[in-house]
Amino acid sequence: MTPPPGAPPQTAAPARVRLPLRRPEQGRWFAGVATGLAAHLDVPVALVRIILVALVPAAGAGLAAYVFWWITVPVGDPAAVAAAARPSALQRLARRQTLRSDGRRVPWAELALGALLVLAAAVMVAMRLGADIDAAWALPVLVVLVGVALAWSQLDAVQRGRPDGRRISVLRLIGGGLLAAAGVLLVAGQAVGQGVEPVLLLQSGVAALAVLLGVGLVMAPWWVRLARELGDERAARAREAERADIAAHLHDSVLQTLALIRARADEPAEVARMARAQERELREWLYDDRHEPGTSLVAALRAVVAEVEDSRSGPSGEPVAVDVVVVGDRVPDPDTLALLQATREALVNAVVHGRPPVSLYLEVGPDAVEVFVRDRGDGFDLEDVGPDRFGVRESIMGRVRRRGGTARVTSSPARGTEVHLCMPVGGGGSGRGEDEDEEHEA
Amino acid sequence: MSEPVDVVLVDDHHMFRAGVKASLDARVRVVGEAADVDSAVQVVHDVRPPVVLLDVHLPGGDGGGGAEVVRRCVDVPGTRFLALSVSDAAEDVVAVIRVGARGYVTKNIDPQALSDAVLRVAGGDAVFSPRLAGFVLDAFGAAAGDVATGDDELDRLSAREREVMRLIARGYTYREVAGELFISVKTVETHVSAVLRKLQLSNRNELTRWAAARRLL
Repeated sequence: MTPPPGAPPQTAAPARVRLPLRRPEQGRWFAGVATGLAAHLDVPVALVRIILVALVPAAGAGLAAYVFWWITVPVGDPAAVAAAARPSALQRLARRQTLRSDGRRVPWAELALGALLVLAAAVMVAMRLGADIDAAWALPVLVVLVGVALAWSQLDAVQRGRPDGRRISVLRLIGGGLLAAAGVLLVAGQAVGQGVEPVLLLQSGVAALAVLLGVGLVMAPWWVRLARELGDERAARAREAERADIAAHLHDSVLQTLALIRARADEPAEVARMARAQERELREWLYDDRHEPGTSLVAALRAVVAEVEDSRSGPSGEPVAVDVVVVGDRVPDPDTLALLQATREALVNAVVHGRPPVSLYLEVGPDAVEVFVRDRGDGFDLEDVGPDRFGVRESIMGRVRRRGGTARVTSSPARGTEVHLCMPVGGGGSGRGEDEDEEHEA
Repeated sequence: MSEPVDVVLVDDHHMFRAGVKASLDARVRVVGEAADVDSAVQVVHDVRPPVVLLDVHLPGGDGGGGAEVVRRCVDVPGTRFLALSVSDAAEDVVAVIRVGARGYVTKNIDPQALSDAVLRVAGGDAVFSPRLAGFVLDAFGAAAGDVATGDDELDRLSAREREVMRLIARGYTYREVAGELFISVKTVETHVSAVLRKLQLSNRNELTRWAAARRLL
């Protein structure tokens, strides 16, 4: 899948990259060999078909080549395979190539098989009716061949990965096996009819079975390894898909922000804000466990911080970054929602009236959730804030206290302002430690 | 003023090294630079600086990044490492601390604080950023009130250490922590170093599980 280490790096040059050899589903007449070859060699399909047919009289070369490719070339859409093989980092850079598709597909292979079977049956019936056809050996062999073909055709079905593929492939295998067995019995009957000893026939049958078993035993490790490698490859492909997903997201959002920044390069405050927003988003993508919405208090808190950082500015219009440190996490409930709203108000206060750096610390304990919001401003005296001012008194402290929490503001010119909110909660915090023994601090 | 502290700067981004060099004040002197694991090990062995400012993510070597540099430099006595990272990921940070780095700061630290941190590490003390303090509280289950009763316990923080960690996580400087707890800055440094030792040596269940969950082991 990956290019060899020494290979020159793929570039997004407009030249068509050669598609890998696959037998596509669309546009096939029989097994898709000609269509696949045409896509691989980038020549018209008709040309490939004519050449193949023209080669048939040459000692069956065309037919042999067709059957060889049918067996060895896997089914698949060459364009899709090429896209998957491309490194995800280049996913957005390279032009997609697709096959012209005409959608419908006649199951020629199955029809041909059916026709052969009908022919065989017709010949048998004709022989019963007394027609003198010397097909004593040809018929059973034909039946065996059809059975084998039916069993082999499951290869296609499995590779196509249809949801019901497994069931159908089992049916094909059983049908093929029955036909082949019937063919073998016919041959045996023919042989006995021509005077071969049944005991000898049985002996050779047992010998053949023993050989088959031996070959199976020898091949088993190889088969197991093949299956294991297939699993590994699937896992690798899943990882690659995830990486491509992230790469696509990052390309989009980062490129967009860079374009915006360039367009507004003469507004430093705006540029700083956009850079900060982009940094935050990247960090979230790179380092955070992505939670389901509504399951993480930390995720909700980060959303609040993002909103404040994006919408509020410091006293002189500069954007302010908030340093967030969290310990533990839990599922949000109405109490923590009130705590979050109070936290938001405290953050807005710190950003708008305080001085950076602004720090936010959230600690989720087994009995309480605590929040500290700190800035390095000159501080203010709570007593000086008039009772008519709703900011601190109502929206921060009132919100938390009504829910049974505590709120405390400490402020001094030397140390800035710190708002401490504490909300008691029931169980369910991820304050870890199942082996919690005793001892809270005095 | 005394002699400046010699520092080797290890980071794979040239721009970042230039920026750090320009921002460090006169108390610190950059005597060497390296951009990948192998050259970093080489430079540290050649120069034997008291402090190495080490990026957590580095190319080269066996792919172990900053932690690999620390491991391969254990034979250089007197050299201490301060991890420097843009990453928020606990696994990056804790991996470097566990192999022996004396502290961790984020790359958006202000220049004054970075010089302070270098001096502190040179003096044998530990440097904790708020985020690292948060990791520690998380990993030791301190938020759940799980604290040690004796001094010799490696697997839990003492009540005092927990208090110090909480203040650092809240954005307090060492000096502010000292003022808040009515202790000396030296005592704060002692507590932080003790926490660092626990972080490096403890095989506490939670820490192990926590590290395993983050694929650190």
